[in-house]
Amino acid sequence: MDEYALGVLTNVGLFSFLALSAYLLLVAGEMSFGQQAFFGVGAYAAGIGTAMWGWPLPVAALGAMALGAAAAWLVGWPTLRLRGLYFAMATLAAAEMFRILFELFHYQRTIDGELVGPDGTQGFRGIRWVLERGIEQETFLAAVWALLLVVLAAFAIVERTRLGATLRMVGEDPELAAVLGVNVARVKLGVAAAAGALAALGGALYAHHNTYVEPRNFDIMLGVHSLAYALIGGLGTALGPLLGVALDIGLLESTRVFQGYRMIVFGGLVALLLIVRPRGLLDEVAVSRIAGALRRRRTA
Amino acid sequence: MRRTLLAAALAAFASPAAAQRLAADVDCKPARQALVYDCRIALKEAASRKPVAGADVSVGADMPSMPMAHNVKPVKAAPTNQPGEYTARIELEMHGEWALKLNVRSPVRDVIVKKIDFRERP
Repeated sequence: MDEYALGVLTNVGLFSFLALSAYLLLVAGEMSFGQQAFFGVGAYAAGIGTAMWGWPLPVAALGAMALGAAAAWLVGWPTLRLRGLYFAMATLAAAEMFRILFELFHYQRTIDGELVGPDGTQGFRGIRWVLERGIEQETFLAAVWALLLVVLAAFAIVERTRLGATLRMVGEDPELAAVLGVNVARVKLGVAAAAGALAALGGALYAHHNTYVEPRNFDIMLGVHSLAYALIGGLGTALGPLLGVALDIGLLESTRVFQGYRMIVFGGLVALLLIVRPRGLLDEVAVSRIAGALRRRRTA
Repeated sequence: MRRTLLAAALAAFASPAAAQRLAADVDCKPARQALVYDCRIALKEAASRKPVAGADVSVGADMPSMPMAHNVKPVKAAPTNQPGEYTARIELEMHGEWALKLNVRSPVRDVIVKKIDFRERP
């Protein structure tokens, strides 16, 4: 496989973590435009862990996930009292605050005669852990997708449990869930923290794939895309956001002939889908029909 | 697949190999066609500043605010007759600040990122 194809497949895997993070909140009934902030927190935290403190990537990624969860919990605690559009706007504002914090963040150290670490708007260069261990692009791609499969398996398990049913109930009718004894605020805060951890894991891997991150990587565009991935792919199954990422990146890559105008195609696609299928291609109805068809085939 | 994942798991906790760091000076000039640039890359060892000849280098680019949407498909850089100097022609989607990514595969593995502001010709 050539370098370009490897890069595209790795990006599909990496942005899927962010898409799943937005999906998790959407299932719980909240639309966040701010998941890119936790993707950034993960990227910076894991980069500092490996490039400056000499931690192995798995340890740094776990630390980044913990920090991402804590940051998301802190943002969720005041903002989850808001509803609908107000919550969406609050998450967007919080994400912009994080981006500005990254721009103000200077923490560098000389390693092998070179300054390494976050340098405000100049970004964070030298996240070389993958290169220094001689890990080939193919191996990194396999590791990203293996982690993604683990996350998908966790989603599949949770969807079949009482917790999964509670999440869907909270998302669809929080008042009814509260009447039935569910602590809606606590469930939503837990979901926000889990979504933050997931986005941070994606960010940690993204930083190590790219070797370089900067505050502008985590601006509103990434937030809009992460939400669009989940909405295009569908909210009926965790495979929906992956389908959304694959369709988006696949479409953008296959329409290179239109150069910068490709984004208009993307915007048009999102608008069209939101009109025709407001809960995405793989929505609850489609997933139920597919599951029914599979059951019938098995029993026939 | 299993072997690849095992290699990744072992590499995750192994101590790093002494990797040589590279540095590069990049100068991009507009070609005749709009949004097409010819870039000259002077590749050198970061510590000794010695030119690195015979390298396998490809050049790609991302727009920092939209890395997944606006990017340049990597192209292989060709060596010139100057030691450690390479050229690559890149075609951008729009003007603005781009992060140029030099992916060096040999003689050592490294990735160098340079931020360049490609402005429209007056």
